[in-house]
Amino acid sequence: MRAARFGLVFLALTIVAVVLLLLIPEQITRGHLGLLMLGLIVVAILLGFPTAFTLMGLGMVFGFIAFHRPGQAFFSSPIFDQMVLRTFGVMTNDVVMSVPLFVFMGYVIERTSIIDRLFRSLHVTMGRIPGSLAVATVVTCTIFATATGIIGATVTLMGLLALPPMLRAGYDVKLASGVIAAGGCLGILIPPSVMLILYGATAQVSVVQLYAGALFPGLLLALLYILYVIGRAKLNPALAPRLPREESNVPMGQALKMLVGSFVPLAVLIVAVLGSIVGGVATPTEAAAVGAFGAIMLAAGYRRLDWARLKESVFLTARTTAMVCWLFVGSQLFSSTFALLGGQGILEGWVTALELSPIEFLILSQLVIFLLGWPLEWTEIIVIFVPIFLPLLGHFGIDPLFFGLLVALNLQAAFLSPPVAMAAFYLKGVAPPHVTLGQIFHGMMPFMAIQIVAMVLLYAFPQIGMWLPRVLYQ
Amino acid sequence: MNGYLLRIDRISAWTGKAFAWCIVGLTTVVCFDVVARYVFNAPTQWGGDASLMLYGTLFMMAGAYTLSRNGHVRGDVLYRFLPARVQAGLDLGLYLLFFVPGIAALAWFGVGFFWESWGFSEKSQISSSNIPIYPLKLVIPLAGAVLLLQGAAEIARCLICLRWGQWPQRLHDVEEIDIEELKADLDAEHRKERK
Repeated sequence: MRAARFGLVFLALTIVAVVLLLLIPEQITRGHLGLLMLGLIVVAILLGFPTAFTLMGLGMVFGFIAFHRPGQAFFSSPIFDQMVLRTFGVMTNDVVMSVPLFVFMGYVIERTSIIDRLFRSLHVTMGRIPGSLAVATVVTCTIFATATGIIGATVTLMGLLALPPMLRAGYDVKLASGVIAAGGCLGILIPPSVMLILYGATAQVSVVQLYAGALFPGLLLALLYILYVIGRAKLNPALAPRLPREESNVPMGQALKMLVGSFVPLAVLIVAVLGSIVGGVATPTEAAAVGAFGAIMLAAGYRRLDWARLKESVFLTARTTAMVCWLFVGSQLFSSTFALLGGQGILEGWVTALELSPIEFLILSQLVIFLLGWPLEWTEIIVIFVPIFLPLLGHFGIDPLFFGLLVALNLQAAFLSPPVAMAAFYLKGVAPPHVTLGQIFHGMMPFMAIQIVAMVLLYAFPQIGMWLPRVLYQ
Repeated sequence: MNGYLLRIDRISAWTGKAFAWCIVGLTTVVCFDVVARYVFNAPTQWGGDASLMLYGTLFMMAGAYTLSRNGHVRGDVLYRFLPARVQAGLDLGLYLLFFVPGIAALAWFGVGFFWESWGFSEKSQISSSNIPIYPLKLVIPLAGAVLLLQGAAEIARCLICLRWGQWPQRLHDVEEIDIEELKADLDAEHRKERK
């Protein structure tokens, strides 16, 4: 219920802000209509209607008003043709085209049970490290993140695989659930991620460069998680007790064999896919298709390929792709109407009137995105709010690539910030009944703090993200 | 009544699942193109067009299937906690205000868009392969029509819920993770290890 109250407060605040904004100017121009539309989208999304159609609907309604000329017949409004044209634009967008292929690859790999072998062999080989189960969880998530860009699945899967052994070994519930939720979300940051494809398509930034740029910040975040877990386990061993003898008593040779069997084939596939993209050999679409083919071969190799599983992966791919792409259709109509009304000009006027330094602007924009991440999801932020900041980047001399990396890191927090922390709900869905949502939220907080640390690090040392794209493409 | 709604769900799902296989086609076409380009150094002319068409058809035709499974992402911070009748009322209003205009535009104005292209048998501008582009444009009104049908079913569901105070049943479908299967797998592995 706390979440509902939070939602109501946010809703009320947005409405108050919109009303105030419309009262201040002496004359309501078309631009203000655009701002009204922007305020209404937040309200409308919170009403819980599917976001894709909310964007489409507001785009249609305001577009109709924008195009309206006195005496014009209803159905001759150009907005109807706009709707068709924008849809066709998404259908022929060769950047978004790689989304279904990466999604397909992810679902096929997820159904091979590789992640399950990987986790078990890792935690046996890492038995001597403090908090070994939690460390193995982060490492498994990181490796899995380089093979898939799906989020919900990883958290659910790790919740089933890693949570029961951690609880059995006497781990602190908060630490155990926090590490799964945080680790599971790495998939959206570490390439190949669907989020970066959408950002690239929205911001006209090369997805290849985004992938190259996001690799090290993603690994840095994973490393920080691991250091945090080891640190906590060292300081207070009661939080993450060592494994009992009989569980860690698997002969090293056998454990290594398991690790090689689960890791090497997957690693070859990942290196081939990511390497060919980042190395500039293949386009993301080409690499994704080869990756999907490789995933099917891998599934066949593990004897996990059958008609039923293939069918499931195909159907799930269709649903996830439709979800992402229809959202993009809606956002295209929305942003074209916003541009038509000219709301962007007013916003730019405000921001330039603030006379911010580039650093202040960067902090302000990231703060806005961070706050929006509490009630909204990453998809909505990327397709609605990022386009608003983008035209301002040139004014402050900020590289859209660097901005994209900061946003990607920032949105990691959107998954962990209550009340819409998707990760928490996925985990709650598969956790034993005595693990409460409150414990999960509580456990995620330190990881959110780590994400902020990672953002500060990336900001202070932009080379973490920018080094690889610069070396490769300049 | 619910029988009709489930029948519409099945039509949407059947369409979406049929076109879902485009992903296999897409994978194959792009892989073929990759081999032709990098191994035989003879890239195909039609690869780019064919893959875009498969991708566009895939996501457009799966829209109604996704809607029938309640699979389009929602901002449900508040929504989740609302009583079913309030949810239904909100949804009903917004289906009429937001969903119907845009989707009806696709279904109706999409026909004109296709018709014009068909009229002069328009060729794709993406590559120089001269593949006709109008089949892809035909997908727009088709997808619009199926979505409109599914939308009608959703609107009927809102009305039923407003009347009876609870949401009617939906069909069960593939989940992201088959939790039961995974649990069975894990148990089997455990038993094997203990032996």
